[in-house]
Amino acid sequence: MKGSLSNNIRLLRFLQSEMTQAELGQRVGVTRQTIAAIEAGKYSPSLEVAFRIAGEFKLPLEQVFQWQAE
Amino acid sequence: MLKMFDIELFLTTIVFILLVTKTKLHKESSMSYQETMPYREKIAWLSMLAMLFTFGPYFTLVASGYFPAKPMPDLHQLAGYAITATLQVTLLLVGHMVLRRRNPQDAKLPADERDIAIKQRSVTAAYYVLITGMILVGVVMPFTSSGWEIVNSALFMIVFAELVQFSMVVVGYRRQAG
Repeated sequence: MKGSLSNNIRLLRFLQSEMTQAELGQRVGVTRQTIAAIEAGKYSPSLEVAFRIAGEFKLPLEQVFQWQAE
Repeated sequence: MLKMFDIELFLTTIVFILLVTKTKLHKESSMSYQETMPYREKIAWLSMLAMLFTFGPYFTLVASGYFPAKPMPDLHQLAGYAITATLQVTLLLVGHMVLRRRNPQDAKLPADERDIAIKQRSVTAAYYVLITGMILVGVVMPFTSSGWEIVNSALFMIVFAELVQFSMVVVGYRRQAG
């Protein structure tokens, strides 16, 4: 099934006192560039990293990442 | 409760869009690609350029017949290869030192899942190039050639496979650049 993964990370970072990509990356164990690629929708993270990111924002996974089927 | 959340989210989104141009986030996203280039992509560029600048001229000389065919061990040819390899190692050492000094934080970071995935894809592609080359050099060439011709062909295939690997790493990062 074709589709695309979108996310609200950029907005959520803004809401978390302008958390930088580097800070988020450090907290979830990936590089700043990987966070940038995830935000831009150019890289789909593993489930583990997706859960870690959602955990950082204290939100359930589906409020951070959304799957849109075509 | 859900409606309240939606209105709240809607308003914050508007505020976010209005303010984003003046925030650090905007600064982050407007950084040039060179500034945000992953450390491992820089290393791939360095390795690729070091290989091109050293083995490029070496194979050009080999192809142009600069090293006349002599029985093994041909010290003239061996010296040519030794100089090339030494130059490549020197370029890599200096390049690594410069990159580490410029990006001390990035250099310390372990590879994350995206780095590993890009590396795996590039190594797989390079493996197919290398195995094809080794079959040609090790199985086919001994029937038609000998000596340094085989050695240089094997070296060429190794260098070519490495170039494929570094190129794939660069392409992998470029495709996913944020």
